[in-house]
Amino acid sequence: MNDRIIFEDVSKFYGEILGVNRVNLSIPPGITSLVGPNGSGKTTLMNLMTGLVRPTRGRIQVLDYSIDDPENLFKIVGYSTQFDSFPKGLTGFQFVYSYLRLGGRDSQSAEQLAWRAIERVNLVDAAKRNVAGYSKGMRQRIRLAQALSHEPKVLVLDEPLNGLDPLARSEMIALFRSTAAQGCYVIISSHILHEVDVISDQVILLSNGYVVAEGKIQNVRSEIQEHPTQILIRCHQPRELAAKMLEYPHTIEVSIHKDERGLLLKTRDADRFYLAMNEIALSGIDIESVAPADDDVLSVYEYLIGSEEVVR
Amino acid sequence: MKKIWWAQIKAVIRLEMKKTFFAKRGLWIYVLAAMPVMLFVAYAIVSSHQQSRSANIARQGERQLSYQDLRAVHSGMTTEEVIAALGKPSASFDWSENRPSPTKPGVILNVLHEDYHYSDGQNDLFVGIADGKVENIHIRHANNLGQDSIMFAGVFQFFFLRLGIFFGCLGIFMNLFRGEILDRSLHFYFLAPVRREVVMAGKFLAGLLATCTIFVTSEILQTVAFLWHFPAGARDVYLYHNHGLEHAAIYLGVTVLACVGYGAFFLVAGMMFKNPILPAAAILIWEGINPFLPAVLRHFSVIYYLKSLCPVDIPSPPGTSPIFALLVSNADPVAPPIAIVGVLVVALIALYVSSLQVRRLEINYTAE
Repeated sequence: MNDRIIFEDVSKFYGEILGVNRVNLSIPPGITSLVGPNGSGKTTLMNLMTGLVRPTRGRIQVLDYSIDDPENLFKIVGYSTQFDSFPKGLTGFQFVYSYLRLGGRDSQSAEQLAWRAIERVNLVDAAKRNVAGYSKGMRQRIRLAQALSHEPKVLVLDEPLNGLDPLARSEMIALFRSTAAQGCYVIISSHILHEVDVISDQVILLSNGYVVAEGKIQNVRSEIQEHPTQILIRCHQPRELAAKMLEYPHTIEVSIHKDERGLLLKTRDADRFYLAMNEIALSGIDIESVAPADDDVLSVYEYLIGSEEVVR
Repeated sequence: MKKIWWAQIKAVIRLEMKKTFFAKRGLWIYVLAAMPVMLFVAYAIVSSHQQSRSANIARQGERQLSYQDLRAVHSGMTTEEVIAALGKPSASFDWSENRPSPTKPGVILNVLHEDYHYSDGQNDLFVGIADGKVENIHIRHANNLGQDSIMFAGVFQFFFLRLGIFFGCLGIFMNLFRGEILDRSLHFYFLAPVRREVVMAGKFLAGLLATCTIFVTSEILQTVAFLWHFPAGARDVYLYHNHGLEHAAIYLGVTVLACVGYGAFFLVAGMMFKNPILPAAAILIWEGINPFLPAVLRHFSVIYYLKSLCPVDIPSPPGTSPIFALLVSNADPVAPPIAIVGVLVVALIALYVSSLQVRRLEINYTAE
């Protein structure tokens, strides 16, 4: 019994063009974000995971199923793609309903599940309208309803927040969280980092078809030894604290915050820094708070790739 | 077959029917299917008009004429002799012509022409008289079901089968996968918990249902239009005593088999080729050169079996070139049961290749 989504040395080439190369992943339950600029291989990875494209090399397994077995694979997988086209002439309801009927469900159960999924994405009022007349956000939501409709264990969502207004975004994020909380695997791709930063249990950072880092954001950050950690310390005596910190060899740089009530410190050894902080606290300097300033996805991504394509 | 597969096939068919029947880009298929119907309707209208005119001419004539009476007129008879034999014509037309004298050079003669039209009610005799003597004779025979059934067979084999059904199947079956790849909507099927072979089978059956409905309807209408203008008695004799009904049923069967055979070919072609013109041209040429192929290769063709099933042989007109005669005739027909199995085997081979192809098919719309 396998409880992970596994990529083993997976490469995908479209002719001469690299999709992804030598990908090794083991994705646990929870929300996993694939992050990278356009063309980094996020969609290819998702299409590989769902069998829409085949790996040129390597093996992929989704829990206990092979990607070559769509009949069983899609009983546990729901995929909301980025392809913004639908079978012609269908209403939103028919789109979800037909998908369920394709899966072999009887009319009554398909109807029930379709309405439940449509309710979950708040699209009941528009469900009887033709999809061709939907706005971008509505099309995004009906695709999501389709992916959710058969209550899959693995939910793969390609840029699921694209085209949604802020209210719909927060509703969808809540939906992803509740789905993940039930022990499901929610795989989200995005090139908007702050979007996934707050909801992801783990991230997979991609660049030019390569996985450059994976794991929990904080763990990924700590793996980047060559890059100093930035820490924001709030206190009433920032200059004294700065002087003391500079006595430690692992401190690289200290700058006083412009409000004179804190400082930003760069250290090459975070563990030693925290030990040092304990000593300093005992010496009488009143420290209000200590917080890492660069363990968000954006910082990690910039350290790893130095990409300017990432949307902030 | 698993019960769920059949439910899934029905779901695919439901989704496909609207697209195959009502797609704007498929409108030309209806035109293609309607063309032979229009041809036979036009033929029936013209024939009916001629029949009623012949009947009128016969009715208005001085006496009731038989076919033998019409045949009695020959070149060189005088106007008086013709009128003595057939009576005064009910329809005639005269005109004059200035013609150089054959005996006196430089002399121009004024020649009086008379055209007489007789009829026995079905066959028409046109007599051309110049200067009081019969110069030319033309007998237009009444429509004959036996002769017309050969014409029907010609239209069926050379237009309906080789062009109508062929291109109709191309339009419908090639679009089953290729059309959705171009519309970027094929992934809808590939994301469902359904075997791809089941999707393929559903799409094939939807295509078959559409083409059979369109072309079988066309074939029925053609038969109705073809028989419509004949007298009821002649129709009954043809249908019930001269294998007419049997032939009509065979034509319908051949139409269905053609849809199965060409449908399977174009289904696989739609998955393998981006441009439908290339496989269409290749299959059209392959089917066209079938009579010239070695016996072994001839078996891998739909038309080879369909020709063997067609109930009416089309005779080659005298003086036909051997190459054309080979195209028209079926020099090496197979027995009907073998022909039916042959088409089905060819279709099954194509469907097997399709099933392999559909498993390999990837969703990569940007490459299209």
